[in-house]
Amino acid sequence: MAARVVTVDRNTHPGVGPILLGMWITLKNLLATLFLGQASTIQYPEEKRKTSGRYRGIHVLTARQDGTPKCVACYMCATACPAECIYIESGERPEITIEKYPTRFEIDLLRCVYCGFCVDACPEEAIIMSRENDLVGRSREEMIIDRDRLMARGKLAEHGPGYRPEEHDVRRPVRIAALERLEAEHGIVPGMPGRPGR
Amino acid sequence: MPRCTIDGREIEVPAGTSVIQAAAKLGIEVPHFCYHPDLPVDGNCRMCLVEIEKMPKLQIACNTTVSDGMVVRTTSPKAVEAHRTTLEFLLINHPIDCPVCDQAGECYLQDNYMVHGLHQSKVELEEKVRKRKVVDLGPIVLDAERCVLCSRCIRFENTVTGTGSFEFRNRGDHTEIATFENRPIVHNYAGNLADICPVGALLSHDFRFKMRVWFLESTDSVCRGCSTGCNVRMDHRDGELQRFVPRRNVEVNQSWICDLGRMLYKDVALRTRVSRARRRGASGAWEPAGVEETLDDAAERLREAGGASALVASPRGTNEDLFAFGSLADALGARLDFRVGDPQQKLQVREDNVLLRADRNPNTQGCLDQGLGRTGVAAILADCRAGAVRALLLQGTELLHLPEARDALAAVPFIAVMATHEVPELDLAHAVLPAAEWAEVDGTFTNYRRRVQRVRPAVPPPGEARPGWQLAAGLLRRLGTPFTATSARELFLEVARTVPGYAGLDYKVVGSTGRALETEGPAPPVVAAGA
Repeated sequence: MAARVVTVDRNTHPGVGPILLGMWITLKNLLATLFLGQASTIQYPEEKRKTSGRYRGIHVLTARQDGTPKCVACYMCATACPAECIYIESGERPEITIEKYPTRFEIDLLRCVYCGFCVDACPEEAIIMSRENDLVGRSREEMIIDRDRLMARGKLAEHGPGYRPEEHDVRRPVRIAALERLEAEHGIVPGMPGRPGR
Repeated sequence: MPRCTIDGREIEVPAGTSVIQAAAKLGIEVPHFCYHPDLPVDGNCRMCLVEIEKMPKLQIACNTTVSDGMVVRTTSPKAVEAHRTTLEFLLINHPIDCPVCDQAGECYLQDNYMVHGLHQSKVELEEKVRKRKVVDLGPIVLDAERCVLCSRCIRFENTVTGTGSFEFRNRGDHTEIATFENRPIVHNYAGNLADICPVGALLSHDFRFKMRVWFLESTDSVCRGCSTGCNVRMDHRDGELQRFVPRRNVEVNQSWICDLGRMLYKDVALRTRVSRARRRGASGAWEPAGVEETLDDAAERLREAGGASALVASPRGTNEDLFAFGSLADALGARLDFRVGDPQQKLQVREDNVLLRADRNPNTQGCLDQGLGRTGVAAILADCRAGAVRALLLQGTELLHLPEARDALAAVPFIAVMATHEVPELDLAHAVLPAAEWAEVDGTFTNYRRRVQRVRPAVPPPGEARPGWQLAAGLLRRLGTPFTATSARELFLEVARTVPGYAGLDYKVVGSTGRALETEGPAPPVVAAGA
């Protein structure tokens, strides 16, 4: 079929009407913010948004009762990860009932899309998510978070745990170092909304 | 030939075929654990039960011979129920430690459970019979808890290697597989035990915790370790070889490879690989150079030398490499031969009567077929000593290792080597060209029985390394007689056209399992009696 020239009538001379309308909207919001306190923004970082208990923030690696990683390096999270941001190397544990543990467990937080598939895939509740979402770093290398940082997670106390669908499964209790500190030092027991704390 | 009907489809099979084999021909997979096509039938796992008309009870498909008019049902309600209950029985004491088990992803228990099981276990994890875990048997790690007692390993040890290391011990649900006094497996075929184990009871020590198998990509290829040319599957990820596993080829290696061949994947990724070209500067010291410049250099020296040049091909090269090398020798009118093997390697492990052969080169037969044994290496070395060789081109470093060749090589003013690995002897050379290993190239090997088999590139070569035929083609172009072929596939057509006995071959004909040539080979140049 031969090409057909289509002429589109675009209103290229709209006049000043639309411009004035846009400026009026801006002015209205400015005045509302200044005098009525109706701001649609918040004073971050002093002020923070409330997040849901199922919020999917930066990951946490949980621990066994003896403080070693709960993770057995089964690579389910790395397999499920759509962003391919989880890197694991595994080693031999002396306990023959466990056998395997991650010698390296790294998440590239810049690649991560925070979908929570890793948490869903984990058969051991070894990885959960926190509500922490303020991610800062000076280099890309710094944003690749390693096993020890994933376990310690110093700022977890501030934000509390996030997406953790297996929490009710009491047969497999896990320890979260940062939450234990939170309870010991501040007496706070965070729990899922609508559910009693641990 | 008896005809039978399996799941409503008729098939005619040779007399003596078992039902499981006949079903496999129809593409129907009967679930099984203990049956293995290259091992004697044992029939102990009871997983392959099928319903056969006029037989009162279900029969095991692996040990029932097809008879004329037999009507078999593999998916009738009775058979399906038998598969499910047998699997449930096998799983009673299974520890379900798939997250830490290397077999996960290629496990018969997992596969069969997803198709035939999907039941809830009636046994709590805490009530299961515990057995030995993580028993170190040298190249093999034994986990008796995961074992389904199929006896494949016992039959392998008894019939293939004749070593008989494994035996069952204890009785009832305490039965477990064991070696006497936990002695390690010492023979050269231990890796196959991990391959044939349908579950995670026997696992490779080398591959332990290295990789989950579903991340691996596979390339069909051939082992380089000896002139048997065992068919292998190269498993790799992100351009790095992870393991070799045997690929079934009844006419070459059945389902086995030796451990020496299995470990060859490690050679490919060594840090000592030659990845850049280099040549001697004016002062005689090494200086790095591009491959093209080094080829310019080498071509210049070879052209100057002309008939006073000599080429030594390697029986580790592919047929395509050798053909390019032969063409180069023709273009120069040079002396040409190839070296059979490294004499040191023959001493390390002798040949055995399973697969391994004393000739540790994959393509000696290819060299012979292409008539590369022209001058004799001894004659070339003698010419070198006499100063009649002005330029020497070596494929591989084998000749440099020979102590008796030292003085001869010292008398040659220019030696260029196509090397894959750095060795101290490379200091005898004047130019080094980086060559690709066999796992990085397209090509063919001809095994000792004159079977032409295909190798495929699984991983990219390091740095600037190139296949041997490309380096030789670069020299030919500079000498003014370029190839028309631009790929190994096209070059092989040239090989098929010119080499006696290879007529009609191409990569499609060779396929993934190879093509056997007539065993007599090309008629050798016979000197008539009395002539």
